[in-house]
Amino acid sequence: MKLSLNWLKEYVDIDITPQELSHILTMAGLEVEELERLGDISDRVIVAKVLSVEKHPKADRLSLCNVDTGNSRVQVVCGASNVKAGDLVPMALPGAELKGGITIKESKLRGEFSGGMLCAEDELGLTDDHKGVMILPEGLVIGDRLSDALNLEDWSFDISLTPNRPDCASVIGIAREVSALTGKKMRLPEVQYREEGAPINEVTSIDVNDPKGCPRYAAGMIQNVTLKTSPFWMRYRLHVSGTRSKNNIVDISNYVLLETGQPLHTFDYEQLKENRIVVARANEGEKFHTLDGQERTLNKEHLMICDGEKPVGVAGIMGGLNSEISDNTTNILIESAYFNPVTIRRGAKSLGISSEASYRFERGVDIEGVIFALKRALSLSLELAGGVVNKGIIDVYPEKYSSPEINLRIGKTNDFLGASIARQEMISFLEALQMNVTEKDADTLKVIPPTYRVDIEREIDLVEEVVRMYGYDNIAETYPAIRPSEKKELPVLGLHDSVCDILAGTGFSEIITFSFVSPESADQLDAGENSTIRSFVNLMNPLTTEQSVMRTSLLPGLFTSVKENIAHGEPNLKLFEWGKIYIRDDSAELPIEKVTLTGVMCGNYSPKKWHNETRLVDFFDIKGVVEVLLDSLGLAGYTFERNALSEVYDKNVFSNFCLGDIIIGSMGRIRNDVLEKNEIKTNSLCAFEIDVENLLKAIALNRFKFRAFGKYPAVFRDISIIVDKKVESMPINSIIQRVGSDLVESVELFSVFEGEKLGSGKKALSYRICYRSNEGTLDGELINRLHEKVIDSIREETGGTLSEG
Amino acid sequence: MLKQTGPKNIMIMKQKLLEIRDRALSELDSIRDLDALEKFRIEYLGKKGQITSLMKQLGSLTKEERPAFGKLANEVKNGIINSLEKAIGELKGKEADEKELIDITLPGRAPLRGHLHPIDQVNSEICSIFVKMGYSIVKGPNIELDYYNFEALNFPKDHPARDMQDTFYVSENVVLRTHTSPMQIRTMEKQKPPVSIIAPGKVYRSDSDVSHTPMFHQVEGLLVDRGVTFGDLKGTLTSFIHHFFGSDVKLRFRPSFFPFTEPSAEVDIQCVICRGKGCRTCSNSGWQEILGSGMVDPGVYGFVGYDPEVYSGFAFGIGIERMAMHKYGINDIQLLFKNDMRFLKQF
Repeated sequence: MKLSLNWLKEYVDIDITPQELSHILTMAGLEVEELERLGDISDRVIVAKVLSVEKHPKADRLSLCNVDTGNSRVQVVCGASNVKAGDLVPMALPGAELKGGITIKESKLRGEFSGGMLCAEDELGLTDDHKGVMILPEGLVIGDRLSDALNLEDWSFDISLTPNRPDCASVIGIAREVSALTGKKMRLPEVQYREEGAPINEVTSIDVNDPKGCPRYAAGMIQNVTLKTSPFWMRYRLHVSGTRSKNNIVDISNYVLLETGQPLHTFDYEQLKENRIVVARANEGEKFHTLDGQERTLNKEHLMICDGEKPVGVAGIMGGLNSEISDNTTNILIESAYFNPVTIRRGAKSLGISSEASYRFERGVDIEGVIFALKRALSLSLELAGGVVNKGIIDVYPEKYSSPEINLRIGKTNDFLGASIARQEMISFLEALQMNVTEKDADTLKVIPPTYRVDIEREIDLVEEVVRMYGYDNIAETYPAIRPSEKKELPVLGLHDSVCDILAGTGFSEIITFSFVSPESADQLDAGENSTIRSFVNLMNPLTTEQSVMRTSLLPGLFTSVKENIAHGEPNLKLFEWGKIYIRDDSAELPIEKVTLTGVMCGNYSPKKWHNETRLVDFFDIKGVVEVLLDSLGLAGYTFERNALSEVYDKNVFSNFCLGDIIIGSMGRIRNDVLEKNEIKTNSLCAFEIDVENLLKAIALNRFKFRAFGKYPAVFRDISIIVDKKVESMPINSIIQRVGSDLVESVELFSVFEGEKLGSGKKALSYRICYRSNEGTLDGELINRLHEKVIDSIREETGGTLSEG
Repeated sequence: MLKQTGPKNIMIMKQKLLEIRDRALSELDSIRDLDALEKFRIEYLGKKGQITSLMKQLGSLTKEERPAFGKLANEVKNGIINSLEKAIGELKGKEADEKELIDITLPGRAPLRGHLHPIDQVNSEICSIFVKMGYSIVKGPNIELDYYNFEALNFPKDHPARDMQDTFYVSENVVLRTHTSPMQIRTMEKQKPPVSIIAPGKVYRSDSDVSHTPMFHQVEGLLVDRGVTFGDLKGTLTSFIHHFFGSDVKLRFRPSFFPFTEPSAEVDIQCVICRGKGCRTCSNSGWQEILGSGMVDPGVYGFVGYDPEVYSGFAFGIGIERMAMHKYGINDIQLLFKNDMRFLKQF
């Protein structure tokens, strides 16, 4: 809601600065979002009188005006054709600065002297009117500053209204609040006019077929109006409030809407078949052209204003083209009604229309304010458009509205607020807000809110009014004692924090990407037909196709981030994201949400530095990260198996990691074709994906326990075994552990060698075994025998041979 | 050779000895490397060195003269040895120092460090402040039933309050949650008072422009017990903001409207850019909105079976992006979701 301060001052005295007023309103819940100075017009723009107008000798479109500026007469070249001798006009004298930074100078236009400029309204920044030079009302003093003469110095307040305060969606509504907050008296505009036409009942009738949808419908009529441009003051106020001026009749209904908050609609009486109004529901599938020129398809939910034959407007939302005010209109019927908020809301939603009228009806207008607004419009119409007002009005209002009676408990209110506001003070707050307050008993007030306060129905609504008037600032800050309650810490929270710290410690940076992705992301991951990657949850109203489905994997977001960072010149990346993925589940109310942890690394393992060479990341880098992560989380005994949960990895370069039956996650090198599909330009990209729920399960199974270590000396023995390239190293570890049993404290693979010497298809694995006993110093002979046994078993089970040297 | 005896001889020998000493010590002073010191040693102390040679002439002295001369010669010899050793020590130390002279301005061999996202860091900080106050953390679905996101929070169907939040729909009754407030209902449904929870998480609104992203993060808070007051709400949130931004930050509680709280309050902090003077960022108001809050509306208790005559409470919702932007002076919300390393590296 945007309004001019001068307009507001018509209804309530304001003797504080605009800034102070802005603060008071904001602190009362009417947030002033913007306070803007208006009418800041140069002092060099004055009221001038046109004495004569002559053709410019050398230019058809220009004229030479002889102008009285109050203390001199000047010739001004003018391009507008609407100026005539005798008109008062705004004139920018040399030195005047106009909107857009133009400074007026004396000049010659096509050979003729021009001592200034006669201005249009838009050139002065007053309205967007550029139809011609602004013609000022008679009676102004020639030579006066324009801003003084028209009282243009003003401020605009842009107030952000909360949905509970439709009563403030008007200048009078804001004035009421200002009055309550500052204690200044309200004044409503006077509504007085002569009714000289035929009684209204003789020329029209109103039938309301749906009193639930339309509890009140009033109408008045005025005949023989003259359509013209509205006076400047009205157009100016409409402009400040963001409404376009059209003609006096249309402007009046918009003006009264802004002034009172009551939407009005004006019909061309002659276009109404049978000259009457019927309020009824639309027929299913009926077509209708609204004022904006669009064809709308109606349904039974839509409440329509009809004439004797057909709909002429969608009630409370938008009028129809067929009864629009046109240049030929002479007789008008003005509607002022109260429509059911839900009916209007549904209708407006289904038509996709949001108008000034529907905004107010949806939130609730003052059902008792209907007649005032109607009469205000009739009176303004008579004043500005002439004609004759028909006698009386029609008011179909079968069931009179009565405001609720609400009890307000004083003690309870203070307890709830943590305050001690005196009873008398509460009463004066409520009375300032035009509530009817009577004392029911020592602790209880009986309160009846005014009819425009549709938001006040319950005691708590009154409590809010009390504290709003009392001032939130005046409530003392206190600190609640928080009683312990049944609390179960979510294990996932601690895990999240640990994982973030561990991964950051290994050089991984955390990213956060949007939860919605493109449906094409499944193709970019080369997901199979039945892959859960394709079980998307679709949004009904996405912003773009790229954000139209909920992600089923964190990889697309990471890939995008990798792609963009590479483009920015960061080719070596280690990124992870912790977040949910969403899988459609038609059997349940809501989709499945799974917390997932995914990391990627690409480019070089570490950037080239003065102390190191660099190399591309590979499988063992990502595996190392996974191992550090799992170890740091206290997991032991996890295993790796040649399998993967997703399809993005290279055929031979991936692995699952598991604890027993629990698959914690997968990792591997991303296929080149997948990288290409995702437009990632890198030589190597490895990833890991962890199912956090399974990780939690594994952690729960695997409670860390301290293991005592032996105090007797250890014996180290190295062995080097040549095996077939396909033989994996981990089973050899297991053989050593199994055969060496309790005496093997640790086994470390310290070399993997492949070379011509060994022959193709062979590799040499070298292990260092640490033997130690908890019971005593090891007997060398015993260890030798055991070690031999270990070697024999490896040879037997792997077909390997002992390497020499 | 004729044996010279007598006092004259010993005088000459002593004289020679002292001359050798003086020469040796002054020579030693000018020696700058270990090789020269070795030559020096051989020259004076070696088997054929000057002192040794002189000592060999001991026989030319009388029996009585020998001990005194021997004593003096030893003193001279030891003196030279000491000085030599000292010189060797000094030179060796100096050489070692030179060898170890490093460029301490070279960058260290630092293990690569990762960076946690500022939203995550701010989220953790907010949560830990409330956890210390006694709140516990709850989590819930991002894809939510209309009932929890709107209906039970007093947003009836066909109510204009729904316009306050542009909603992404999955189906007629399923939405992407527009706020973390559904967790109020989900918690109260399961638990009797006292309730003291915070619920951090992602939320979604179909709004994307310079200052909005369609996904962002909130931390919801809820305290319900006997006798919780509006003053408690003010105290709790003031204390929180002072913890987070420092106790010199000015704040104000301003009436507002949320369907599920009444009275409701927006909390503004003094604009960190202009310090309250009024600037573009704060639309000349000097204040910036930081969170929404209010006393739980009795209508909400109706949905979860709490008696509003017995219990009262407050709820609040903190926008994490906004907190992060204020804390770090980030002027563009879009940066938070670009995941540009040039941005992330700074945190």
